[in-house]
Amino acid sequence: MAEFEKEVAVLVQRVVRDISNAFKKNPNIDEIGIIPCPEPRYNRSPIVLIETKLGLESWCVKFLLPSLHRKLLLYRQRKNYLDREALVDVTVTLLLLNPDFTTAWNIRKELLQCGVLNPEKDLYLGKLALTRFPKSPETWIHRRWVLLQILQQCYAQKGCRKEQGEGYLCHTEATGSSQNLCTHQAKLLHQEMTVCSEAAGRYPSNYNAWSHRIWVLQHIAKDNVEVFLEEFSSMRLWVSMHVSDHSGFHYRQFLLQALLTALCKAPQSTAATTLHQQGITTTSQSDTRAAFGLNESSKEWQPGIVTIPQLFDLEMEFCSELIHSFPGHETLWCHRRQVVFLWYQWRRDHPNVPCNTNEGNVLHLSISKDNGQACSSVEKSINGLPCGGDAMEVDGPPDPRDAKQLKRGLLMSCSMALHAEHSFVSSLLDNCCNLEQRRFALAYKKWLGTINHQ
Amino acid sequence: MGTQMKDVVIKPDAPNALILDKHADYIAAYGSKRDDYEYTLSEYLRMSGIYWGLTVMDLMSQLPRMNCEEITEFIKSCQHECGGISASIGHDPHLLYTLSAVQILTLYDNVQAVDVDKVVEYIKALQQEDGSFAGDKWGEIDTRFSFCAVATLALLGKLDAIDVNKAIEFVLSCMNFDGGFGCRPGSESHAGQIYCCTGFLSLTGQLHRVNADLLGWWLCERQLPSGGLNGRPEKLPDVCYSWWVLASLKIIGRIHWIDKAKLRAFILACQDEETGGFADRPGDMVDPFHTLFGVAGLSLLGEEQVKPVNPVLCMPEDVLRRIGLEPDLLN
Repeated sequence: MAEFEKEVAVLVQRVVRDISNAFKKNPNIDEIGIIPCPEPRYNRSPIVLIETKLGLESWCVKFLLPSLHRKLLLYRQRKNYLDREALVDVTVTLLLLNPDFTTAWNIRKELLQCGVLNPEKDLYLGKLALTRFPKSPETWIHRRWVLLQILQQCYAQKGCRKEQGEGYLCHTEATGSSQNLCTHQAKLLHQEMTVCSEAAGRYPSNYNAWSHRIWVLQHIAKDNVEVFLEEFSSMRLWVSMHVSDHSGFHYRQFLLQALLTALCKAPQSTAATTLHQQGITTTSQSDTRAAFGLNESSKEWQPGIVTIPQLFDLEMEFCSELIHSFPGHETLWCHRRQVVFLWYQWRRDHPNVPCNTNEGNVLHLSISKDNGQACSSVEKSINGLPCGGDAMEVDGPPDPRDAKQLKRGLLMSCSMALHAEHSFVSSLLDNCCNLEQRRFALAYKKWLGTINHQ
Repeated sequence: MGTQMKDVVIKPDAPNALILDKHADYIAAYGSKRDDYEYTLSEYLRMSGIYWGLTVMDLMSQLPRMNCEEITEFIKSCQHECGGISASIGHDPHLLYTLSAVQILTLYDNVQAVDVDKVVEYIKALQQEDGSFAGDKWGEIDTRFSFCAVATLALLGKLDAIDVNKAIEFVLSCMNFDGGFGCRPGSESHAGQIYCCTGFLSLTGQLHRVNADLLGWWLCERQLPSGGLNGRPEKLPDVCYSWWVLASLKIIGRIHWIDKAKLRAFILACQDEETGGFADRPGDMVDPFHTLFGVAGLSLLGEEQVKPVNPVLCMPEDVLRRIGLEPDLLN
C-alpha cells in the first residue's frame, strides 16, 4: 500500500509539472478536455498537447484529483506547507478538473492580493475552465472578483494620468453623463463579451454566462449608450440563430430597457450627452441599421436617428418575423410579452408623446469623418429637430386611418396597440396547425387581457 | 413544420408508487459507499449534502438512522473564527453552508453546538450598503444569499440583527416584469431565485409586495405536458425545479393552479426502483439532492406517507413548530 501511495505521489507530481510546462510551452491554449482512456498506455505522460488544445487522459484523474485536493486542504489547515509556486500549480490543475472548488479560487484570490499572480492570468484560467464547465458558478464568481480588482486598479491609474494631463476623457459621472471607456476598459469589455459568447454557445440558456454579461455591462460600460447599442446590434443575429435561448433573449430585453431608459433620460439642453469614444468599440451606421432591422434601401430609415417608437416598432417587426419563421418557441412569445409590456408602460407614462416615428426622444448615431471617432447623442426632438424643454407639444393623436400608422400598430395608443396585438394572434391562429404554436399564441392572447392590471 | 417539444415522455412501466423504504436505505448507505474520487468532487458542498440527506430522512421519519453525534462534531469543526461555517473541514466559510449547518442543528434541536452569537455576527457583517448580502468575505452578491441570511437568522430567532428594510428593498429591486426574480437587478427570472426571493419575503413578512397572480401565472407555465416543471422557458423538466416552483406557488397561495396529479406522476417516475433515490428526470442517475426535492415535492402535493414539509425552509413542519417559527404564506 505504501508503495502504491508513493507511486501515486510521483505520478501526481509529474502530471502537475507537465501541465505547468504545457502552459509555458504554449501560452495560447484555448481549450481543455478529458480524453477517454481507461488505462495508461506505455510509460508516457497522460498530458496531450495538440496545437492549442490541452487534453488529459481520463485514467489519471481518479488519482490526481483526490491527491491534490487533500494536499491543498492540508495546506489550508496549516498541516502541510506549500510554497507559492506549488500553490499556483496545484490550484491550476485542481480548478481545471473541478472549477466549483470555491476554496481553491479563494487561495488564488489571496495570491493575487499579494502580487504573486497576475489578474489577467486568472481571467485566462477561468476562461479555460469554462470551456469544459461553461456553467460553473464559482468560476463566474471568481471572474467578477478579479474584474473588480482590475477596474479598481484602472480607476486609480486613470486618476493619476488625468492629473498628468494625458487627455483621458474618462469618468464624467459627477456630471451625470455617460462615461467614456479607456482603452484598457474597452479591451476588458470586449474580452468578457467573447468569454460570455463562447460559454453561451457551449450551453444553451446559460444563466450564469448571461447574468455575468449583464453584470459586466453594469460595471464596466455603466451607462455608455454606445456600448449598449453595439450589443443590441450584435445580439440581433445571435438571437435569431438561437430562438430557444431564453437567457439570450432576456439579455436583449435588458438592452432594450437600458436604451429606453437612456432615451427617456435625455437631457433638457440640445447639447445632450455626447460620448467621445476611444479604443476598440465603434458602431458603424450599417451596424445600426442591422440593429434596428432596416436595410440600406428602406425608405423609412433616417440615417443615424432612432426614436423610442421606432425602437419598439422595429423590435416588434423582428419578433413577428421570428415567430412566423420558427413556430412553437416559447422564448419568442416571452420576448413579445416583454416588448409589448415595455411599450405599454412607456406609453402609459408618456401619453402625449407623438406617435410619428420621427418624433420624440431620438438617439443620434453618426460617425464623424474628421477624426474617425464615433459619436452618439441622446436628444429630445420633434420632427427630428432638436428642441429644448421638458414639455412635449404635440398635435394630437395620430389619424388611425393612416395606413402606415395602422401597419405600425405599436405606434398607436395603448388600446389600439393591444387591438393590433389581438389581430396578430387571431390571424396567426387562423392559419396555424402547429400545436405548440397554438398553445403559446392562446396563452399570449390571455396574457394581453391582463396587461391593464400589471 | 414542427419543433421538438422540450419535454420527456414517461414510459408506461415507469414507477408509479412511492417506495419509501428504498429511499431511506439509499440515503442511509450513501456516505459509506462512495469512492475517493466522487467524495472529493463534491466535498465543496458537503454541508448542504448532509442537510439534504438528513432532511429527507426526517421527512420519512428515519432520522434516528443517521449518526447525530458524528455530524454534530463535524459541524462544530467547520465553524471558523469569523463565525461562518464551511462546507467541510479545511474549506472556507460561506453563507450557503452556514444556513445548511444551522438547518441540520435545528433538526437535531441543538443549535447551541456552534457559537450562535458568532454566526449572527458573521451574517450581519456580510450585509452591504444597498441591503444586499455577500455570500462570503469576497463579496459576490446574489438574492440567494439574501435568503440564506434571513433564513439562518430566522431559525436562530435573530432576524433583528440586520437591516431588514434595506434587505427587502434590494430583493424587490430584483423583481422582473414577469413577476419573477433574478440573482441581481436586471437578471433573468429563474425558478430557483424565485424560490429564494419569495421565501425571503415570507420570512420578512412582505409577501403582499409580490404580484401573486402574475408570478403564479409564470410559475404555472413551467408545467410541461409530461407533468414535470422546468425552471425557465424551454428548459427540460426537473425534480428540483418541480420543488422550487411548487414551493413558490405554495408560498404565494397559488399551488392549486397546476395539475397536481400529473406532477405527482412525473416525480414518482423519477424514482429508481432498484437503487432507491430520485433522479432529475426519469431514467437518470439518482442523488440525495433530487431525492430530498422529490420527497418534499410529494409532501407539498399532500402525500400522507411523509411528514408535511414547510415550503419556505424545506424542513419538516413539526421541527419549525418546535422552535415557534411559522413563516407567512399567502392564501
